[in-house]
Amino acid sequence: MARTKDAYVPELIHPDTVDEAASELARLGKDGEAIAGATWVMLGPLYRRPTKMHYVAVGRLPELTNLAVNGESASIGAAVTFSQLADSVDPDGPLAVLNEAALGTPRAIGNVATVAGNICVHPYPAADLVPALLVLDASIDVRNGDVATTQQLAELSNASLGPGSLVTGVSANAISPRALSCHERLTVRASGEEAVASVALAVELDGGAIKSARVAFGALETRSRRCAEVEAALVGGALGDETAIAAGNLAAEALDVVGGPDAPADYKRQILPGLMKRALARLAASGKDG
Amino acid sequence: MNDAIASTLTINGREHDLDVPPFYPLAVVLREELGLTGTKTGCFEGRCGACTVSVDGQTVVSCIYPVGLAYGKSVRTVEGLAHATQPLTPLQQNFLEAGAVQCGICTPGMLMTLTDLLERVPQPSEDDVRDALAGNLCRCTGYRKIIEATLATAEAGS
Repeated sequence: MARTKDAYVPELIHPDTVDEAASELARLGKDGEAIAGATWVMLGPLYRRPTKMHYVAVGRLPELTNLAVNGESASIGAAVTFSQLADSVDPDGPLAVLNEAALGTPRAIGNVATVAGNICVHPYPAADLVPALLVLDASIDVRNGDVATTQQLAELSNASLGPGSLVTGVSANAISPRALSCHERLTVRASGEEAVASVALAVELDGGAIKSARVAFGALETRSRRCAEVEAALVGGALGDETAIAAGNLAAEALDVVGGPDAPADYKRQILPGLMKRALARLAASGKDG
Repeated sequence: MNDAIASTLTINGREHDLDVPPFYPLAVVLREELGLTGTKTGCFEGRCGACTVSVDGQTVVSCIYPVGLAYGKSVRTVEGLAHATQPLTPLQQNFLEAGAVQCGICTPGMLMTLTDLLERVPQPSEDDVRDALAGNLCRCTGYRKIIEATLATAEAGS
């Protein structure tokens, strides 16, 4: 692909503080955008995504790179990277789903790709962290100029993150202190690829039966989302193939699946029971009664 | 605003003042502005890993890493592993001895990725090595000899 210097004319602004960054973004409005790793900005021309004239680099701001994991909850700065999450979140703890989702990308990408970047990139339904954060009932902190707000990730839309917005952090909470969770993804190659379908699953068990469940699917609809029908269907079931296949078939009916270059919609619907089987089998193999 | 982040880049221990647009890919700056052609470019999508370098101790795919984000930071390229007049690193030497190099396009990226792995995990398992190579594609070797060279390096270092 031919590349010329002329293609790289946008301005890059380096603020010293979150206040400065928020102020700059408010001033720039629709002409500006925050970046940390800039992965999606650099890939923008390839995906025919419009380029901004000004970018505000927030990846070095200390307030945005803090990560605090306390058992069943996590406070995650917007510029925390996938690698930080993979290295810091206990793969056997109640937030395991976050660790697994962060491990879905090669380390050289994970070292620069950030939590807020994954949340804000649109349209990109295969963003791995989003389903994981949805089953952790995540909320996001947003600055717009001097105004700070908090909103549920599940309610996030393009309209709610308007021009001038800066995501500053994410809070995530496990379904319970002894929750089991996992992130299962199907890729064309074994690794290093974006998912053609993914599921994040968190359950609380009571005597071997699922007492409560949170389930979110990625790379299937135009945005990742939790699926209430599947969550309800899992309750009362065991962590076995019968429960998984029924849940996968229900998901295939409940979701408005869209195809992509790697897999048509019909294929994605057909693999959902298998994807759920793999997810539930892994939870069962973890050998804990949540 | 942060004036300290001017257009200065430290590459393999040497400081460079650059005059290039901030969104110019680091890989292209290394190759075309600085003549450090050890870093290869392949896909320009961050998928093949041929352009892997280290920025402040973290591997990045430099084809989609804007040079403006590297200003003020320390970059290590494959040329920084062993100077031309110095012996090869143990990993480089084991690549040679195991026959882990064929056409060579992927080799600099492989070396940067696996050097990072051995620094983080001095005694990796074969699965660790395979996982680390998830973002580095090789169309010649089938990976087997690359993995063997890495495990041999780890074993010799234990």
